Amino acid sequence: MAELLLHAEDIDKKFGITHAVNHVSLDFYKGEIHALIGENGSGKSTFTSMLTGIYTKEHGRFFLEGEEIHPQNQVDANRKGVAIIVQEVGTLSGLTVAENIFLGKEDDFISHGIKHTNAMNRKAQELLNSYGFNHIDATAVIDTYNFEERKLIEIVKSTHFNPKVLVVDETTTALGHEGRRELFKVMKKMKELGNCVIFISHDLEEVLEQSDSISVLRDGVLIDTVPSEGTTVDDLRKLMVGREMSGNFYRTDYGEPISEEVVLRAEHLKVPGELRDFSLELHKGEILGIGGLSECGMHEVGKALFGASYDREGSVTLANGTIIKDIPTAIKNSIAYASKDRDNESLVINDTIRDNICLPSLENLKRNRILHNRDMNAFAEKFAKEMSTKMEGVDQFTSALSGGNKQKVVLARWIGLDSDIIILDSPTRGIDIKVKADIYARMDEMRKSGKSIIMISEEIMELLGMSDRILIMKDGALQGEFLRSEELTDEDLIEQMV
Amino acid sequence: MEEKKIKLQGMSFMDQPRVRAVAPLVMFVLVCVLFYFLTGGKIFAANNIKLLLSQTYMLMIASTGVFLVMTMGGLDFSQGSMLGVCSIVICYLSNINIVLAVIGGVATGGLIGLVNGFFNVKRKITSFIVTICNMYLLRGLCAYFTTKSPVYAVSDISKYNNLAFNLTFTIVILVSVYLVFQYTGLGARLKAIGAGETASRYAGIRVEKTKMLVYIAAGCITGLAAFINSVKVGSVTSTAGNQLETQIMIALVLGGMSVNGGSKVHFYNILVGVFIYKILSSGLVMMGFTSQMQQLLLGIIFLLLVGVFADRKTGMIVK
Repeated sequence: MAELLLHAEDIDKKFGITHAVNHVSLDFYKGEIHALIGENGSGKSTFTSMLTGIYTKEHGRFFLEGEEIHPQNQVDANRKGVAIIVQEVGTLSGLTVAENIFLGKEDDFISHGIKHTNAMNRKAQELLNSYGFNHIDATAVIDTYNFEERKLIEIVKSTHFNPKVLVVDETTTALGHEGRRELFKVMKKMKELGNCVIFISHDLEEVLEQSDSISVLRDGVLIDTVPSEGTTVDDLRKLMVGREMSGNFYRTDYGEPISEEVVLRAEHLKVPGELRDFSLELHKGEILGIGGLSECGMHEVGKALFGASYDREGSVTLANGTIIKDIPTAIKNSIAYASKDRDNESLVINDTIRDNICLPSLENLKRNRILHNRDMNAFAEKFAKEMSTKMEGVDQFTSALSGGNKQKVVLARWIGLDSDIIILDSPTRGIDIKVKADIYARMDEMRKSGKSIIMISEEIMELLGMSDRILIMKDGALQGEFLRSEELTDEDLIEQMV
Repeated sequence: MEEKKIKLQGMSFMDQPRVRAVAPLVMFVLVCVLFYFLTGGKIFAANNIKLLLSQTYMLMIASTGVFLVMTMGGLDFSQGSMLGVCSIVICYLSNINIVLAVIGGVATGGLIGLVNGFFNVKRKITSFIVTICNMYLLRGLCAYFTTKSPVYAVSDISKYNNLAFNLTFTIVILVSVYLVFQYTGLGARLKAIGAGETASRYAGIRVEKTKMLVYIAAGCITGLAAFINSVKVGSVTSTAGNQLETQIMIALVLGGMSVNGGSKVHFYNILVGVFIYKILSSGLVMMGFTSQMQQLLLGIIFLLLVGVFADRKTGMIVK
């Protein structure tokens, strides 16, 4: 057995009546990638947040190489040899790349009270180059880089000082294929240096592929730690949910013909910097998947169809000839859109579940031109329940919901409006398998009732499993088209993407 | 599970919805009781109540407009000078016809609101900056028209200055705005814009149009407040409406309104806030504080309340 590196002893944390982490003891060894899995709210992030000083623990102790540590904050944790890469943006805009990498460690470059910016930039560039990210300029302001590149910079920020323990918290959901490859490379390197990586991910295949051992949490309790070798995805699912889950939660039908009826037609869509020239036809009752690398422009397609793009050229027309040019027109004509950016675009995050569900339907909710609070409550209640949203009540703020439940509120909003054309961008991003299965089932239902769905997704398995047709994009234009088939494999799609 | 976690973590006593809802009422009672004893009950004597009321109408009406602007996350510092300019128009026109005077005042207010809205919405300058600029610009305009002598309204305008008219006028405005706010969806839309503009746009709200409309509406409402003021005063000097904007803001915050607007806003914030403010300031006067001392005390109270009621989650971003 390898040497013990980090020992967590009887870690415990309660949030009010919720037992988020329930007396968990775990050992992490040198030179291993140790995955933590579990559904949303199972306590994975809470556990690692206590380790990295983001939360304070109520009970229990962490021992790193035999010495007890209790970090006060992330920088303090770094100094003790524990680092974390988070799921969402972990860099500060307005600062340069170098300033971000050395955030909280500026003192290292200060002598006699003067900060040596040049030395800092030089050091940052050296680090970037050593990771093979030569295309990133250490002196540039971080905002010049996109989400994916900022994530790479964050990897450098969290690992350049060679921490003994690195937590990777659901980072992969934010990354495309390229970014994931880079991240895995860094994780491997950390492992080879005799450090330990704690890897949190919802993607079970990825977990099995990358990690050496896997610990499963359920409702804050440690269920089991298993070696990756000889374990299957189904085994993990069983451990996570505590009951049998069928291996496949995608649709199972094949060979159903697609209706000839076109409900929406987009022609020659152009958005500067995003779309070069893109056209599509959406048929009644189909799920049209759109895939590609994250920068291929597919996310802009959803916005363009919904009338939300700035500077869009080309036309979006409905079957009855209505032209969609702005969001209110789109919504009025039964088009719904759930953005990839759930917290900023899909939901008014600092508003209640009720208001979020009712906003697009306000006009329909009026009786004799008067809007009653009672009706709004009932409406929100009905559709939130229909989506089985876990909540205290419709007065709860959406900011307090987990990722899966937020997405349920988004869908409840559009189901409440009974939209016929539903555009879903990354509908299951960062969502656990139980809610995922719910969402897929709901999509299948909608399809059967004659609604048309556009599903933009970075998950190839999801595209293969759910779509009647798949469009693959590259560099802002259409690259290939596939029809639903059992023979279709992920390699066929990837070949078109890269 | 996770929802609970985030909810309870970092949620201080003051952030809980029920506490936020009740706090202003508790404060109202406290202020009443406190000044009842401090002034030996004089503050609630019949003629003082009457005096209090007569000072309340203008603030109450003007606060209603600013309430709308603040709900959608904006600020309006131009209210005081706007009221001054509207009053000039009203007093001038009242010499021709009293109805025309009201219409003129409302139109002037609406026009100024349009200017505020244009720079905020179309030119994308924060409302804070736009309205501060207009505060100075309009105050200058006020001074220009009143340098030689005050603008006098028609002499019989004072016949409207009675309890029945003032009270009816104010209540009609409050009730109308309340009905529109609560029962047309405007309230929900404004709160959503205050809580998150981008997401509101994606939910189909015509954000720019709504904002524009609210600025104009707030201006029109100030025109009405200017009418009540003209009825009471009978003339306009260059200082008409001086510091009204701060009074409004203190009143709204006293009423429990978050300075960032958003979803935690309630219509009763206006009523409770204005009454607390009036009792507070009148109580301080009766206790014999100098006006400098009153300002100091009000400033301290304002600062404390902003500290307590600010919605840190939404962030202190003034739009």
